Amino acid sequence: MLESYVELVALHKRFASLAAVSDVNLAVPEGQVTTLLGPSGCGKTTILRLIAGFLQPDSGDIRIKGERVNDIPPQRRGAVVVFQDYALFPHLSVFENVAYGLRRRKVRGPELKGRVESMLTFLGLADQAAKSPLQLSGGQQQRVALARALVVEPDVLLLDEPLSNLDVKLRVRVRTELKEIQRSLGKTTILVTHDQEEALSISDRIAVVEAGHIRQVGTPYEVYARPVDAFVADFLGIANFLPATVLAVTPGSVLLDTPIGRLLAEASGFVAGDAVTVLLRPSAIRLSASSGEAMVRTSVRSTSFLGGFRRYELLLGDFLLIADQPMTGLDAREPELWLSIDPAAGLHVLASRPR
Amino acid sequence: MREPLTLLTGLGVITVLIVFVLLPIVAVVAYPPFTDYLTLPENGRWVRAALNTGRMVVLSTTTATLVGFIYAVVISRPELRGRKVLRLIATLPLFSPPFTLGFSYLLMYGRFGLISHDVLGFESSILGWKSLWAVQTLTHFPFAALAIERALAATPARLEAAARNLGASGFEVFHTITLPLVRPAIAGAALLIATYVLADFANPLVIGGDFPLLATEAWYRIDGWGDMRGATVLAATLLPPALFFFVAERFWVSRRKYTVISGRGSAFDRLPLPQPLMWTLIAVCLFVAAIILSLYFGIVAGAFTETWGVDWTLTLNQWSVVLSKADHLRNSLLYAATAGLAATMLAMLAAFLVDQRAIPFRRVVDFVCVLPAAVPGVFIGIGYLLFFGRAGIPFAGTATLMVLAFTFANLPFSYQVVRSGLAQIDQNLADAAANLGASRLRILWDVHLRLLLPTCVAAWTATFISCITNLSIAIFLVTSGTQVATFSILGLIGDNRLEAASALTTALLAITLVVLMITWRVSRSTGLVSVVVDA
Repeated sequence: MLESYVELVALHKRFASLAAVSDVNLAVPEGQVTTLLGPSGCGKTTILRLIAGFLQPDSGDIRIKGERVNDIPPQRRGAVVVFQDYALFPHLSVFENVAYGLRRRKVRGPELKGRVESMLTFLGLADQAAKSPLQLSGGQQQRVALARALVVEPDVLLLDEPLSNLDVKLRVRVRTELKEIQRSLGKTTILVTHDQEEALSISDRIAVVEAGHIRQVGTPYEVYARPVDAFVADFLGIANFLPATVLAVTPGSVLLDTPIGRLLAEASGFVAGDAVTVLLRPSAIRLSASSGEAMVRTSVRSTSFLGGFRRYELLLGDFLLIADQPMTGLDAREPELWLSIDPAAGLHVLASRPR
Repeated sequence: MREPLTLLTGLGVITVLIVFVLLPIVAVVAYPPFTDYLTLPENGRWVRAALNTGRMVVLSTTTATLVGFIYAVVISRPELRGRKVLRLIATLPLFSPPFTLGFSYLLMYGRFGLISHDVLGFESSILGWKSLWAVQTLTHFPFAALAIERALAATPARLEAAARNLGASGFEVFHTITLPLVRPAIAGAALLIATYVLADFANPLVIGGDFPLLATEAWYRIDGWGDMRGATVLAATLLPPALFFFVAERFWVSRRKYTVISGRGSAFDRLPLPQPLMWTLIAVCLFVAAIILSLYFGIVAGAFTETWGVDWTLTLNQWSVVLSKADHLRNSLLYAATAGLAATMLAMLAAFLVDQRAIPFRRVVDFVCVLPAAVPGVFIGIGYLLFFGRAGIPFAGTATLMVLAFTFANLPFSYQVVRSGLAQIDQNLADAAANLGASRLRILWDVHLRLLLPTCVAAWTATFISCITNLSIAIFLVTSGTQVATFSILGLIGDNRLEAASALTTALLAITLVVLMITWRVSRSTGLVSVVVDA
């Protein structure tokens, strides 16, 4: 396996006064899904277009399988895009849509037919070959787009917000399908999305992008549980940021003074007296109707029922905390609750206060 | 039916359409004894006219569509500066009387033409089919240019990007994606142009020379011979091909237009064209635009010249003619404005009833409303003359008849503008009003009229321009008391008073332009919309 199957080196791209991509470095490993995750306008789609060759970088290199491809036009790059709205050709049948790339590669006759048909069968579209893409459902259109990209056996598959045009229920199903297809083909894939849930569930690696910069690269678990800063923490899910001060330092851990009392967290690189921020996911908080050891009293501002769990907005003085609790035990109308931290959840300490 | 008033209105609309659209058409076709149609192939001149018409339609449609396509490709390139100026130049012929370019062609490239004679030194007559072909191309290519430009703009650049991404070269992208997607627009524009060239009447009169065409022959039969039977036979001969083009456009081409799957997707830049190709296309456009500008320059220059081709002295003398024909200009303005208003209101009513499914025979009504677009103006002129011109009809030979002919001949434009405007109004609004107790007509008044005012302004403007520049209908219906400017201009050209004709054309163009600018401002600033109602 190549650790740098696709490699972006010091990539820069400006549009007029906007620095869309600034000093982006990224290694995409072979056969895995690497996700560019960020809010809209962060530059993630620009990075995808730079890789596909629709845009030229102002400086920096794009390498595929070690070869610099900056000067190779999009039609010969071997990086094929599944577009956000699929960009299916409305005047061509499903079969011809999928055959399009093969025809451009001078594949003809029985080979063309065989490859298109086996790809359609692989994606469960065998019955749809003669139809117009306009006759298909959103999920089917998405698979045609995928088939059209995969059939040319690209080096890299580029997915531009592939699920954003599907409704919520379908999205989860297609997400699973997409992951299975990718696994079974072992196709190196770069996915662009603003949906953190999609990114967490589908990716082998996530690169969090903000304002043209890559903030952090890591496994889904790493970026979720060990974000490098408040932006990453916040973007990957609901986060409580507790302002804290380092009281004492031991090798591998710190003792913190926080609004909910003294807490021990795994961390290094801090000295006593540092102002830090503690990241606390809503699921790391436990609530109880009666007091106990290491508990803090909070008042309940509001609660909402979210199916599998109940979300609490808690006030600790004037400090707002969000906590998710399983649907057992607690009376939702309780005005005050006792709060403690799940020791298994672990605490993550960020170097500075959130902006 | 719980809404008798609505139903009654619907039946009223149907009656009006039968009387003013269908019956005049029937009147023309049924006028000559059937045997007259059979003798048509025996008349050598008429056969020649039919063949000439066919040749002119094929040649002009081909070149106008081709030039329009090239023009569209150039003005749809967003990176090109000055494309808006090019587009503006192409829209000029759309707002001018139909013979403007033919007339000016005479001035600039004729025997004593400013460019052909004085600049290039040719010494020959240009009258004839080649000049007519050139003028028809210049007059009608804007339809293709604007329609194809719109189709190109509607073809998402990301489809081209996707094709490129799948391995297509620039030429392959054009050949396999872009061209197939705009092909219906090209075919539609070609059919539209064919209809116009088939029916055009003014340019052949001005520069055709002795090149008989069906439309002009029909006029000569009436004007020179008082031969209504011959005229109706010739006009009726125009109808089948015109209907064929119309039906082909409406039922074949427009159904093949591709709706592109839309969805959230970010914009792409269009792929650049190869430089040499781009420059060639730009050169073609600049050449065409230069000729058009030269022709408009000729008109304006003629208006201030003592004797064209002989005495180039700058003078205002010609404008005394304009003053003496001020009432013709006033008639043009008045009839066009009134017809615009009538057509817009009728279109509004019919479109609303059709849109709300509140009229019996909905599909038929829809078809009849757009039918006049297929019928050549010559045909409508003769039809109104025949059907309403007889004794006993109270408005025979009056301005009312001309206004009515203008109104119904232009109903399709207003109707289509209003229908597309209606389609953009959320049905929920009408439903909400109905839910709160409003009747259909009440909904028309409260919801649609208020939201459609800009659309109405557009519909009115389109009809106004079409009427004020009309010749083919007016020529059959004018009387000494109802002279219109286009007819006067034709007369002046016929008398070889080219400078005076230029001055009157310039005045007409100026009026059209002023009205266009006013409505353009009005339709963009909602507060002034009532201006239209007062027009």
